[in-house]
Amino acid sequence: MRTIVGLISGGADIGRTRVFWIGFGVIILLFLLYPTQTSAFRVANVSFYLLNIPLGLGMALLWGYGGVLSFGHVAYFGIAGYVYGIVAGNMSENAFGPLAGVAAGLLASAFVAGIFGYFVFYARVQKWIIPILTLVLTLLLETFLGQTAGYQWRIGSVLLGGYNGMTGIPWFQLGGFVFEGYSFYYLCLFVVLACYFSLRMLVNSNFGQVIVAIREDELRTELLGYDIRARQWVVFVLSAVLAGLSGLLYVQWGNYITPSQVGLLQAALPVIWAAVGGTTSLLAVVISTFTLNWVTYTLSAQGNQYAMVIIGALLVVTMLFFPRGIVVMVAERLGRFRTRRTAPSQP
Amino acid sequence: MELTAVIETRSLNKRFGGVVAADNVNFKVMHGEFRCMIGPNGAGKSTLFAMLCGIQSADSGQIFFFGQDVTRTQAFQRVRLGVGLTFQTNRAFHQLSVRENLTIPQASAKLENKEAGQARLEFALDAFGLDPNDETKAAELSHNQLQWLEIAMVLVGYPNLILLDEPTAGMAAEETQQTAKVLKHLNSTGLTTVVVEHDMAFVKDVAQVVTVLHQGRIFAEGTVTKITAHEDVRKIYLGRA
Repeated sequence: MRTIVGLISGGADIGRTRVFWIGFGVIILLFLLYPTQTSAFRVANVSFYLLNIPLGLGMALLWGYGGVLSFGHVAYFGIAGYVYGIVAGNMSENAFGPLAGVAAGLLASAFVAGIFGYFVFYARVQKWIIPILTLVLTLLLETFLGQTAGYQWRIGSVLLGGYNGMTGIPWFQLGGFVFEGYSFYYLCLFVVLACYFSLRMLVNSNFGQVIVAIREDELRTELLGYDIRARQWVVFVLSAVLAGLSGLLYVQWGNYITPSQVGLLQAALPVIWAAVGGTTSLLAVVISTFTLNWVTYTLSAQGNQYAMVIIGALLVVTMLFFPRGIVVMVAERLGRFRTRRTAPSQP
Repeated sequence: MELTAVIETRSLNKRFGGVVAADNVNFKVMHGEFRCMIGPNGAGKSTLFAMLCGIQSADSGQIFFFGQDVTRTQAFQRVRLGVGLTFQTNRAFHQLSVRENLTIPQASAKLENKEAGQARLEFALDAFGLDPNDETKAAELSHNQLQWLEIAMVLVGYPNLILLDEPTAGMAAEETQQTAKVLKHLNSTGLTTVVVEHDMAFVKDVAQVVTVLHQGRIFAEGTVTKITAHEDVRKIYLGRA
């Protein structure tokens, strides 16, 4: 237990003081109470902001901590979503069909990422090429899914649906309990917290430290006796599974998915979320993913055509004025302020 | 002292286009030795070092560590046999803290050497004035502290052999002497040490055997006295004066 607490409160993420944890607890409490204070529509919207967080966390882990930028992690989001739709859709009479769909979706994401990652990392592909390769993969997937219109692209009783996408994807359910509306909101909240705390433990463990060491200097790390290819591969697959988790929640939330979910625009979003928050902090990416999804959704819902232009402009502002990410740099400033305030006065 | 070869190369060759970087190198270091490799720029020291590390592959020939053929193994697998390496340019993790620099190598430590390895590590940390709980960013350390930190990082892995490429480069005389003192003590505990070095005062202080490389070949080999007295070595490397 002490080890778990030690790992969670370790120095690999921002927020370690008592005040921080009290604030963290209060915010979680507010999230828990939120559905009692608002409409089902708003709860569904907040579920959407929450369900993207595992994808953002995957980016933080891979890019911020591991130093590998993937521009195509939405591929694993889409693979998990489609596979869930196929499996759960074909097992719609079975109360455990959605659970089988979840397992199949996550396995499919891990499998594709495993094969792709194997060729990338074991061939020691240079880091700057990896974003291009990952982007190519997701664009290929989009192109493939886009041409799956028609009855011939039917798997069991489920139609892939081409650019119109797959519809009628079942809710998630465990036995007789269906997660929809409020219960789905709590499911998303639980998944986000579980992912966040697990990753916080991971990045504070020796494994996490070695991942950061690889980011800092691959050769030095290898010559300390670590198989950096294997470690990078594990991180890549893990981050793909996190993306897959978001994909699963997405299709369970909206009951549909289209190829545009693995397209260029969507591919850029997790990169923006991570960059704006600050890739080197899990918490920063949680905050930025939630906030940017809220901003995008709100602007789009109000009929603003320029939601993505605004998000893009935000990325430019971040790059220019907050190169380490807005949340990270604000947290650093607050930390410095606190240190200065509590520092003993000079004689 | 056991009479086993810790490092052995057999007919090692490496060419870069028309340049011969290693020409039939048969290099052997015995257990417990303190060996220094010297030679003028371009003599092939760094190439031999890189081939021993596994960063570069040889065109032909074989490399053995502790009697085991490692010619085709990956760099990290060689390290796991109990080899510690530092580079010519400092490669401690500058953006991480001293503590993190010293904990990262722990998971790959050679645990069968724990007793001797821990004693060596503690001696080096103490002599170098490094605190394993220090949260200072490595980038804030002075040059010599960074060099020392990298040596300490290598010792965290409890190695049987350390290969150091110019460990005293850029150090003042006093710091060089301190480094020599620590390395000599570590060697006296049975840690085989191979150092590539330019500083002849340092080499004279520490080396039991000196290998002189010239144009990719082992030009001469022997005790410091023998090498410094060697007429041709003086001509190519030490100067006639």
